[in-house]
Amino acid sequence: MSNENEGSAPLVPAGLHGGMSFIGLILHNLNTRRIRTLLTAFAVAVSVMAVVTLGVVTASLKSSAAEVLSAGTSDFTVAQRGSSDVLTSVVTDQQVSRIAATPGVESAVGVLISTVRVDADHPLFLEIGVSPAALAPFGVRILAGRAYGAAAPREVMLGWQAAQDLNKRVGGSIVLDGTSYDIVGLYSTNQVFADTAAMFPLVTLQAMERKPGTVTLAVVKVTPGTGIQRVRNSIEQANPNLATVREANEFGRVDRNLQFLDAAHTGALIIALVIGVIIVMNTMLLSFIERIREFGLLRAVGWSRRRLLAMVFGEAIGISLLGAGIGVGLAFALMTALEYFSSLRGIFHAELTSEVFATALYSAVAIGVLAALYPSARAALLQPGVALRRE
Amino acid sequence: MHRAGELGPNQTSSLEGGSEPSRGQLVLEAAAVDVEYGSVRALAGVSMEIAQGEWLAITGPSGSGKSTLLQLFAALDQPTRGVVTFQGKNLGNDVNLAEYRRNQIGLVFQLHNLLPHLDAVSNVEIVMFGNRLGRRARRARALRLLASVDVIDQAARKPPELSGGERQRVAIARALANSPAVLLADEPTGSLDPASVTRVMDTFTRLHEEEGTTIVMVTHDSAVARRADRTIRIESGSIVGQGNGGEAKDRATAVTPVRSTPTRRCPGLPPR
Repeated sequence: MSNENEGSAPLVPAGLHGGMSFIGLILHNLNTRRIRTLLTAFAVAVSVMAVVTLGVVTASLKSSAAEVLSAGTSDFTVAQRGSSDVLTSVVTDQQVSRIAATPGVESAVGVLISTVRVDADHPLFLEIGVSPAALAPFGVRILAGRAYGAAAPREVMLGWQAAQDLNKRVGGSIVLDGTSYDIVGLYSTNQVFADTAAMFPLVTLQAMERKPGTVTLAVVKVTPGTGIQRVRNSIEQANPNLATVREANEFGRVDRNLQFLDAAHTGALIIALVIGVIIVMNTMLLSFIERIREFGLLRAVGWSRRRLLAMVFGEAIGISLLGAGIGVGLAFALMTALEYFSSLRGIFHAELTSEVFATALYSAVAIGVLAALYPSARAALLQPGVALRRE
Repeated sequence: MHRAGELGPNQTSSLEGGSEPSRGQLVLEAAAVDVEYGSVRALAGVSMEIAQGEWLAITGPSGSGKSTLLQLFAALDQPTRGVVTFQGKNLGNDVNLAEYRRNQIGLVFQLHNLLPHLDAVSNVEIVMFGNRLGRRARRARALRLLASVDVIDQAARKPPELSGGERQRVAIARALANSPAVLLADEPTGSLDPASVTRVMDTFTRLHEEEGTTIVMVTHDSAVARRADRTIRIESGSIVGQGNGGEAKDRATAVTPVRSTPTRRCPGLPPR
């Protein structure tokens, strides 16, 4: 072993001076079993795709619904407690007046909201009924033309996005539910929900919808310096069938569909993760059985249990990250396709935010780590002598 | 202390453990060891000692228990009864087995057990994960070890591309990677052609004579066993004979029966 003690470099084949790191070994192992790695990553990707797509669709639908409730420049919104859908909420004019008279309330604006089919591309076009006097408190800014008259039966204003989408302008007309309306103005509220809608005088929409004397919700602004929570409590005590909503997590109080949506999303998320974990664990167990001698050998030559665990988990996380990347790509493709579904047009907006990537990463790593738990434990607990005797 | 494949003067030693024995001191000991696999008794009351710097050959027919005994010394299995010690420490409960396997012993198997998807140099390197050498130092050491067993020109090749003898020499380089106190070899020439047997045994001889490496080698080849300082013979799980000293090398096939008399004293070793 004279070469050893001299410390001199032997004549070495080219390209061999770098050395293999532990992470390099993990990547090498994944690359060696390329097909298995890709197939397992694809299983992770399908789960990630399901998780991401469900998450984005749910968030988008919730966001669309929530926009209805956070309309205007109000401090909070009042609607019927426990409605299955906020659009079915009923608040009477008397209740709106009582709310407006509550101490600490600066203004309370009754708003009626309904939907109408314009064409195949706009199956859920929103109609908003607000009296002309309440337009400013509702946050409406006239961009072109003028506001409609208080009881004008054939006048309508279009949100600027709706006008753009429908190719309409002031002076033109629009046919809704078989009736033609004159477009007298274009407006902006800085909210997608309202800007993609049409606005009518409140009484006109109440007549159209056969809902005289009722609105969907009331948007409330409190007097500056007044405690908002105290005013909310007062309103709810005085009107037990009404609920106030200020934060996004309170929307479920007046729209049970949002609660169902959340529950369905959570359930689907768990199912997608469990399926992913089972598929990946199955593959990793097969891989473990194939590699028993390898693991036994590594233990026999001095690898600690911790190092073996690190290798198995490292491979699982490598597969997970690859799966996360593929999954986000698949999810993006699927969401883009969903945007073209007529029933989702205008309601669903696919947005690949950092949150989406984080969800993909967390879910993929969760799948990888959970799936690796059992196989890695078995690998670490192997008796090397027994493993090496395996044929 | 003589450790196989010891690190160069400019490298940090990664070896663990306390005081190291000098030549002739006890390194490994089996005391009244039984091993049972279900109803099969692989070893029965085996007692023996291995001294520092000794080259011991364990011979016997197939299924006699010689590999089982080696696996006990390698801490790959535990005895059903009895105790195996390394430098006086019980391998059953006084020793961190992963550290022991990594730093105190080097293992050579009959079928080399190299990882087929790694090239030769990486096969040697991976046993150095966990010592204190960096990536480049590990690679440099692995290359020097491959050079020392004359397979440096095969460093970039994977095991399926190597001959049997080359694979076994890569396996020897791997066994020496962490400068073990004892080299344990289980039928290291069992699957080799005569020319490869000679090269592998020459490597063992050089390690033993130049570096004083303690070697415990299981073999059923009497010619191979003759290279060792001492030979013990196992049949049906018990030691049935032994041959001592340099002269005993020539009589390894005609060992003295010592049935039911366990080896208690290690023989004198040839002067260096």
